Amino acid sequence: MLNRIGLYTMFRREVVRTMRVVVQTLVAPVISAALYIFIFGTVIGTKIDDFAGVPYISFVFPGVLMLSIINASFASASSNLYFMRFTRGIEEILIAPFSYLEMLIGFVGSAVVRSMMVALLILAVGFLFGAVSLVNPIGFMLYVMAIAAIFAMLGIVVALWAEGFEQLQVLNTFVITPLTYLGGIFYSITFLPELAAQITRLNPFFYFADGIRSSMIGYSEANTQVGIVVIVGLVVLLGWLVTTLFKRGWKIRY
Amino acid sequence: MSDNPILEIDNLVKVYGSGKTAKRAVDGVSLQIKRGAFYGLLGPNGAGKSTTIHAITGIAQPTSGVIKIDGVDVVKDYKEARNKVGLSPQEFNVDIFSTPEQLMDFMGGYYGIPKDERRAKIESLIERFDLQKHRKVKFQKLSGGLKRRAMLGRALVHTPDLLILDEPTAGVDVEQRHDLWEYLKELNEKEGKTIILTSHYLEEIQYLCNEIAIINNGKIVAEGTKEEFMKGGKSVEQRYLEITREDNKNNHA
Repeated sequence: MLNRIGLYTMFRREVVRTMRVVVQTLVAPVISAALYIFIFGTVIGTKIDDFAGVPYISFVFPGVLMLSIINASFASASSNLYFMRFTRGIEEILIAPFSYLEMLIGFVGSAVVRSMMVALLILAVGFLFGAVSLVNPIGFMLYVMAIAAIFAMLGIVVALWAEGFEQLQVLNTFVITPLTYLGGIFYSITFLPELAAQITRLNPFFYFADGIRSSMIGYSEANTQVGIVVIVGLVVLLGWLVTTLFKRGWKIRY
Repeated sequence: MSDNPILEIDNLVKVYGSGKTAKRAVDGVSLQIKRGAFYGLLGPNGAGKSTTIHAITGIAQPTSGVIKIDGVDVVKDYKEARNKVGLSPQEFNVDIFSTPEQLMDFMGGYYGIPKDERRAKIESLIERFDLQKHRKVKFQKLSGGLKRRAMLGRALVHTPDLLILDEPTAGVDVEQRHDLWEYLKELNEKEGKTIILTSHYLEEIQYLCNEIAIINNGKIVAEGTKEEFMKGGKSVEQRYLEITREDNKNNHA
């Protein structure tokens, strides 16, 4: 039977942890997103014609939102688990009646909870700037949750692998950030030469951004089926990997 | 009350690392602990006490052997087994920014205890361990004694059948240590809780425990009732020194 109270407690604990460092976890990403919205909406956006039938800020906003969700989810999962490894607080979870699948749901769900808190605040800022539209709310929620889950699981893998605080940033600096910015969050791939556009289509982040954008403004540049296969495939693959690592107790169990 | 042992360990082996660097921390430990016992597990540093405890509680993966708590295999049926045991570890394995109240609340939640029941239990533990004034103080700001009491509260929040205390009075002053002893005695004698205790304070073992085992170099080298240990008017400490020195001599011979 699913340990529902246990899972809810893991989510609740993450909310407590998030509120403990609220400037770092909620205020900073919202300010950062607000700056993006201001620059692309008010400063640059007013000088650019409508793009794909919507103001430029509406085209860019889904990418800004995705960037914040990715960062919040990855940081939440990686810092939570790494800190628990560091203090041996992970033993609280190991001695409690959680299955390995429940550990996965607990850690991933906790990170998704934090990223949803960030997403709601950024959506609120977006509304103030008139940057938010939502043509497919259910699709939007599914994309957002799946992307947050993917980066939570990547955060868990990095937290298990890292032997120091610096290593926690390696994946973020060398993989996540470049692939995010090169995934077409601020531009259309129609602006790119054909070879660059083809290369972009190999970047999974392109499908993440496109999925959120299509559910928000109804404009898509990617093959939706391919995007869904990429996202679902990553959720399943990373879910299997993290559950296996928990089962083996890699770096958490003596 | 069932006559079955609350804890059965059969030929437990735990090896850390592999190849030339492999270390056999526990080497074929077998134990049976009766329900309601106050069981002292003694041994020098690195003898295998904490590793055995880690294997019982799920913090360490046994290399081989079988461990059953109340007949439930801790590897095969690990979820059910976890519900039966509470641990107060030697090291403070907590989020140091949490308060004693939060530690108990989160732990109770992890064990699936509903909110109202959890609240009531936490209140009784906070009162029992005299933590009222410190319930909302961050763990890192507590004194050594208060930290130990908060850990005990956390270990008891789900009312486990088997309580494992790994050095529970380390860093606790004499007065508080005696208070804790009285509480543990009461828990064992009045509530029938089975307790496994490791400690380097052998007078603590002598005062509290009715059964004792000595582990040395990963093996159980002596086991029996306290009376058997103290035969001939010797203290537990004298017997402990005799047994471990003899075992070390045999191992080096």
